[in-house]
Amino acid sequence: MSDEAADPPVDAEPRRRTRWRGVIGLTLSRWWRRATRTTRGRITSTVAAVALTIAFLVVVTGVALALADGGMATADDADVRITPEESGTLSSVDGVEGPRLGATNERAAAIRSRDGVEHASPVLVETARLESTDGDPRTVRLIGFVPDGESRTVAGLPTTALEPGDPHYANGSYDGPRNRELVLSPTAAERLDATAGDELSVSMGGAERAGGGTPSVTVTAVADGGAGGSGAPIALVHLSELQSFSGAETGELADRLLLWGEADAARSAATDAYPAAAVEVAGGTDPSTLFEDGLAFATSVIALLVGVTVCASFVATTMGMTVDEDRRTLAVLESVGFPTRSRLAVVAVSTGITTVVGSIVGIGLGAAGIVAVNAVAGATVAPGTVAHFHPVFVPYAIGVALVAGLVAVPYPLAVAARTAVLEEVAR
Amino acid sequence: MSKQSVRGSRSSARDRADERESATAVRLEGVTHEYGSTGGRFRSGDERTVTALRDVALDVPTGSIVGLEGPSGSGKSTVLHAVAGLLVPTAGSVELRGTDIAALSDAERTRLRRRHVGIVFQRFHLLPSLSARANVALPLVQSGVPRAARRDRATTLLEAVGLGDRTTHLPSELSGGERQRVAIARALSTDPDVIVADEPTGELDTATGQDVLELLTDVGRERAVLVASHDEATLAVADRVVTLCDGRVDDVR
Repeated sequence: MSDEAADPPVDAEPRRRTRWRGVIGLTLSRWWRRATRTTRGRITSTVAAVALTIAFLVVVTGVALALADGGMATADDADVRITPEESGTLSSVDGVEGPRLGATNERAAAIRSRDGVEHASPVLVETARLESTDGDPRTVRLIGFVPDGESRTVAGLPTTALEPGDPHYANGSYDGPRNRELVLSPTAAERLDATAGDELSVSMGGAERAGGGTPSVTVTAVADGGAGGSGAPIALVHLSELQSFSGAETGELADRLLLWGEADAARSAATDAYPAAAVEVAGGTDPSTLFEDGLAFATSVIALLVGVTVCASFVATTMGMTVDEDRRTLAVLESVGFPTRSRLAVVAVSTGITTVVGSIVGIGLGAAGIVAVNAVAGATVAPGTVAHFHPVFVPYAIGVALVAGLVAVPYPLAVAARTAVLEEVAR
Repeated sequence: MSKQSVRGSRSSARDRADERESATAVRLEGVTHEYGSTGGRFRSGDERTVTALRDVALDVPTGSIVGLEGPSGSGKSTVLHAVAGLLVPTAGSVELRGTDIAALSDAERTRLRRRHVGIVFQRFHLLPSLSARANVALPLVQSGVPRAARRDRATTLLEAVGLGDRTTHLPSELSGGERQRVAIARALSTDPDVIVADEPTGELDTATGQDVLELLTDVGRERAVLVASHDEATLAVADRVVTLCDGRVDDVR
């Protein structure tokens, strides 16, 4: 053009950057005014649609994570858990028996003496057959635990009904008096047709080896539906008695060790006691477990697909309608010298802002949803948590919303690109 | 209305003597335009067309106001759109400061419009979600002007059109006359050489329209202004009035 040379000499790159900063700033400021003043309803409905979709995704993924983190047999209120490191085992047979921790009674006692640790107990899980005097034998999972008189939950069952302490252990001699106590889950009680005070006989592989015929135990309590309603036939007993029944007293074996107290102190004590074992702090659920559990992984993948599809559909539809109503604005931008790419950038950035804001609101709603799901589940069918929130959900949800936005953005862009400036400004 | 002149709003960088002399800013020669003749690829070849302009010739010197009058459908708006580069005529040439608009690509026409043409619409066409200042600064965003400079320039222009106390108001909070003054300030923000105004007082009452006309007259002392209107009072501010009828130049006075 004739006067191009007359323009003051400028560096094209800084000007280009300033221009794009200006376009993005203009879009942000316009979006904010529209969200708060001029077209509040439209923006709010789009943000709400994205937020609800993302909240759904977060809740379902939270449930899947809890599913992957362990079922009712591991449902407890401990602050720190020590489990054997799976990769350290040589077993190639799946589902027979996993690795166990050794010297658990002794080390749990040492951990209990540490500052900041309220209580520590090994947990041993064994399958046994229980039989009431007038019923058929039933298979029940026995959970061995050392109660301390405080209200705690192990395997979804309350521990207060057991006599505090573990006298049979007797400093490792396993010759102390037996309590012969048992707390049944509602399902186990129903199957055995047993109630508090009933005598049950126990049989398992190690019982004969322990000698002295078939031992018997007394039902001290049946957990109520809220606390032990997992549906699993399980029962809580004193640890050392179960170790004696099963033969696990040699080596003082247990499946895991639970710690209550200050998280940092308990974790430190756990790491000192078992430097090669896996130490997990409550609330620090590892999202990678999702990939190890088929059902949980499938659930989260379906939630992801549904989330992206529904979110993209909502964003495409509502943003397409918004752009359609906004054709005159796009025509004005063209008339004042905004080229096509800048006008499309305004539409794309608006769509991006809407999805990101929607995803942030959705993460908040999802976190609240997880709290609500846990509260409802705790009050009705299951103790403890049935859904976990993890910090990685934040970038995950934003990422999913952005992908949905990318899937959706061609539609509003196509609507924007079809805008005829003369038709709009001539109205 | 502001007593401050908008003439002082022109940037010093472009305040050169050669831009001040009465050169021809806009020249139309043999311009013919048919709507429907440049339809999409799926349109049939025998589609009916409407001829909006027929062999129109027109000069607009810098420092003058040229009025366009004529009945509805006579082609006034089409001339303005052709000068602004919003459409390319079917035949003939439209030169803007010596550059033939028809020879440019879409992107080049957009750039030319941004730098050299300010448009004032009958219905203002301000962006409803932007403040008066942001509306005025809008063309400067694409020009790559830094934010602080944009705000300064927009504030200066709003003060010049008498709206220094309305900079943060949304268009919905302004009267019709105020909105049109914001639109004129926006048209001036890139310091263009040509202003095209399509029925600039069409939505305003007589007194407010008079204020806007004074503003346009002030603007026209340093630029080429092309105004299309039915209104005699509006055309009265023009140095020359071109009458269009059925797309042809019928009279020049």
